[in-house]
Amino acid sequence: MTPPLIVAGPTGLIEHDGGPRHPERQVRVFAVMEGVRDLDLGDEIVYPEFGEAPLEVLARVHARAYLNELDAFCAQGGGDIDPDTYARGDSWVAARRAAGAGLAALAELEARREGVAFVPVRPPGHHATVDRAMGFCLVNNVAVAAASRTARGERVLIVDWDVHHGNGTQDIFWDDPDVLYVSTHQHPLYPGTGRPTEVGGSGAPGLTLNLPVPPGATGDVLRAAIDEVARPTIEEFAPDWVLVSCGFDAHEDDPLSETRLSSGDFAELARVVREFAPAPGRLALFLEGGYDLDALRASVEATLAALLDLPSHPPPPTVGGPGLTRLRDDHTERLRAIDRVHDEGAP
Amino acid sequence: MTASVVVVGDDGSDGARHAVEWAARTAASSGAELRIVHAVGLLEHAGLAGAATLDGDEAIARATSTGLDPGRVHWSVDDGDPCTALLRAADRALEDATTVLLVVGSRGAGGHTGTLLGSTSLELAEHSPVPVTIVPLHGRAGDAAGR
Repeated sequence: MTPPLIVAGPTGLIEHDGGPRHPERQVRVFAVMEGVRDLDLGDEIVYPEFGEAPLEVLARVHARAYLNELDAFCAQGGGDIDPDTYARGDSWVAARRAAGAGLAALAELEARREGVAFVPVRPPGHHATVDRAMGFCLVNNVAVAAASRTARGERVLIVDWDVHHGNGTQDIFWDDPDVLYVSTHQHPLYPGTGRPTEVGGSGAPGLTLNLPVPPGATGDVLRAAIDEVARPTIEEFAPDWVLVSCGFDAHEDDPLSETRLSSGDFAELARVVREFAPAPGRLALFLEGGYDLDALRASVEATLAALLDLPSHPPPPTVGGPGLTRLRDDHTERLRAIDRVHDEGAP
Repeated sequence: MTASVVVVGDDGSDGARHAVEWAARTAASSGAELRIVHAVGLLEHAGLAGAATLDGDEAIARATSTGLDPGRVHWSVDDGDPCTALLRAADRALEDATTVLLVVGSRGAGGHTGTLLGSTSLELAEHSPVPVTIVPLHGRAGDAAGR
């Protein structure tokens, strides 16, 4: 029997309007929901109710001064925050609803003790740091959800396969021993962070695991990064929850990157990540980037079908791109960096 | 080790051009090296932002027109938002120099005024490990006063 698919969302269908030329726009969510519809699950999909995440919950991962300023900025009509990132009058509510959807997804999984949750929301979140909006992101949705679990003493693995490094998530959990952050991303590329030597602070050495891949990388490289390089660290960490910062902008058709994944590659990545969930009902995927609408729709369908063991026929996984050798070299560099953090933290 | 480095942000805006000129004069008068930094964001990388054609030639020419030795002018691009890229550049400069100054125009390409949110210059002033000079758009380029 197919485990239930919990869809907490969509949000951002109307609100948070960046205009038709901005790639992070409302129509993305329509494309994503087409991908969900392509699964042909009909009424079997569970849509939990959700509202705006409370301020005190957001304040677990963001500075209150930043949240207050974002609220006030939007109340005054918003504007450009940086050359990429905007807020509108309704963006504060949109961001809180996006974060609230993630909280509802985990609550529903917990109540059911089975299934997979998908959180198709915008604005996306993984670039939002403790005290800064950037990279299209205002509130860090996956971080808010993760912090809701670490507040109860649970351990959370965040796998971030968006093509851009999730500098915000890394920043938030840099010193947190209850969160393991694993990121595959193109490098060099925005935001310029995510080097293998960034391994976490003295409170959590080795619990930030950056796996950069070069432009042109194919799906086999990203699979090796997670399945081979990250697996021992993940298994040793033994998470209670697995959350995925699920960007689809590593797709070969995406205009914001030069990696060459197919939608079938995301299905393969999803199968690998599923193995890290300690029990049924402990896996949730949060939409991040993905800006080619056809690629977005196909990748969502392929990813969710893989997780639910539904029939699906995406294009085959891709192989042969650069980056495998570098992954292994980077690992040696990473181990040295972890030693340095330990040494600096020693009395 | 270089004695002094002036780091200036260039996003192609009028404010940034003004800041580059001010920074170049300051570098020339103090014997410092000038490092001009251009941050490449998500939109620019995708060719969706106006600054996509920005290269270093104009900024370097503007800097050397003040009399600064071309050998002491360096242009670089860095992935990231302007604030983060400039803070990284300041950190790198601190590894090479005893004195570092960060210079930025008061209004960048975003054109926002007012709060900390949306203002690269105010965010830099809050987070920078080195002194920051914010060059007013309508000030005189030769003025040495920032704020």
